[in-house]
Amino acid sequence: MSFLAIENVGKRFGHTTALDGVSLSIERGSFVALLGPSGCGKSTLLRIIAGLETPSSGRITVDGEDITSLPPERRRLAMMFQSYALLPHMTALENVRFPLRMQGKESAAEQRRRAMETLALVDLDHLAERLPREMSGGQQQRVALARAIIAEPRVLLLDEPLSNLDARLREDMQIELQALHRRLGLTTLFVTHDQEEALSLADRVVLLNQGRIDRDATADALYDDPGTAFAADFLGAANLVPVTVEATDGAYIAILEDGQRLPLAEAPGPGPRQLILRQEDITLADPTAPGLEATIEARIFLGARVRYLARLGDLRLRILAPRHLQYPPGTPVRLRIDPETCRWSREGSPLN
Amino acid sequence: MPGAQGGQGLVEPIVLVTPGIALLFGAFLFPVGQILVLSVVPSGEELGAWSNFARFFADDYYIRVAWRTFRLSLLITAATALIGFPLAYAMARAPRWLAFLLLLLTVLPLMTSVVVRTFGWMMVLGRGGPVTDLLMLFGLSARNAVLLQTETGIVVAMVQVLLPFMVLTTLGVIAGIHPHLEEAARTMGAGFYKTLRHVVLPLSLPGLVSGSLLVFAISMSSFITPNLIGGVRLPVMASAIYQQAIHTLDWGFAAAQSTLLLIAVLGLLVPYLALMRRARV
Repeated sequence: MSFLAIENVGKRFGHTTALDGVSLSIERGSFVALLGPSGCGKSTLLRIIAGLETPSSGRITVDGEDITSLPPERRRLAMMFQSYALLPHMTALENVRFPLRMQGKESAAEQRRRAMETLALVDLDHLAERLPREMSGGQQQRVALARAIIAEPRVLLLDEPLSNLDARLREDMQIELQALHRRLGLTTLFVTHDQEEALSLADRVVLLNQGRIDRDATADALYDDPGTAFAADFLGAANLVPVTVEATDGAYIAILEDGQRLPLAEAPGPGPRQLILRQEDITLADPTAPGLEATIEARIFLGARVRYLARLGDLRLRILAPRHLQYPPGTPVRLRIDPETCRWSREGSPLN
Repeated sequence: MPGAQGGQGLVEPIVLVTPGIALLFGAFLFPVGQILVLSVVPSGEELGAWSNFARFFADDYYIRVAWRTFRLSLLITAATALIGFPLAYAMARAPRWLAFLLLLLTVLPLMTSVVVRTFGWMMVLGRGGPVTDLLMLFGLSARNAVLLQTETGIVVAMVQVLLPFMVLTTLGVIAGIHPHLEEAARTMGAGFYKTLRHVVLPLSLPGLVSGSLLVFAISMSSFITPNLIGGVRLPVMASAIYQQAIHTLDWGFAAAQSTLLLIAVLGLLVPYLALMRRARV
């Protein structure tokens, strides 16, 4: 039984289709990422769920209640905006109190007490009387987060929650978001264009491409087996290699475009296929060793590891290697690939 | 920019402001100064220094004129704000083509002469005009009521004349309010009107206040519209001053009234500017 159900939701703006029949079913308490490049429809979907945009077709239910035509103020969901959208004329405390004030169920004193409590939850109770413009970006975001969770929303929607923060604050915020999620168990749906953010935060990643769901899997499964050419490409961690699979004597062999042969453990069958190779599953070796022949094109120092770009004919592969390896550009190398790590794009065939 | 802070950098700004400053001195500060002097120093030898002011406050007629001017200006300002704020908000949030159309409709009256517009109002409000017919139709007036030469008529016509000033100043501020703020308020349980009240209205206050000051200042000293609509029975301060200066040729008394008018407007403007400066810090 899903808690938040998105059924066949479509959205057209004039002649462009932003969402093309998206269906999603999200369980209570889960932490889901909507991932995709800009213009894939992820923000539109979030805004439709919040009630800020009207879908052209489809239905949305929360806990069995159809909310498709409810105005945003009656949906009992909360949204944190990328720009934080703090009310500039109100203090941090008044901003956090705002949802309670609009509900008007408790006395003003009780509302303030709860607002203070929620501010303490994000470690900002000492800045309660500050105006948003007197706070740093990270502090503003935590106020926005406190404001989003105070009224115990049925679903918490986050629009690019980490994108406006610098690297160190991102990590802090990431830990904070996960801790809050564990503690409050809020059903959370967030939008991001950053694959790392999606994979690191969410239990489940929904990858959107051109208004359709391309992949819907756990972060782990999506990384281990991207499954589609788009996912492999967008996640950036894998190489997409066009090959022709041949079956000889019961064993499969992939023939690369430059004619080199790669033995396989298993394959979806003979014919032209898209092979997905994760960049850390390719091992670099000296030219005397067995393996695919390639030439190093570039070496990019990443700190803990080094990324190599290797060329095989017209094909360029990204390889993640330990930093002690030293292959300068122009060096011929061999690439060793464990057949067990090969994955396939399932384009055109049903997924999962 | 090395020259910006040095002495050389001062030459260009001085060149730029000279014509404006010269005009202000020659055409505004000098004549206003003359009026101030004239109001204090009476022309007749037998009168004391502040006699013109004493005469103003002693005469019930002039007090009533001043009170009418003040009261009508307040009414006009309130009505303009009440009509102008929703209009400005709609313009700020409407689709581009509609916003342009509304803007055009708002600004268009500014392109025609006040005399022409007021003459139009005289026809509309006067005997046999459509407003009278409408009032009769709804049974709001038994007799052939005429808004011409009434205070209501003055307010209605003045609101129309001054609406663009209110709308344009408020629009500038509302356009700067990010729509995300309203959307955020909506997701936090505030309906449309609550959002308007708790988010848009407080944030548009600077525009509303400066628009109100502008409208109030212009209403206080306006002459043509109140004079043509109100007629001789309902004089406002500007028409009383005109009367003294042109017909009675009592320049000293006219100057005293002008000075009082100036003080009344400045008395509002100066605290506002001080308040705005403090709010920005």
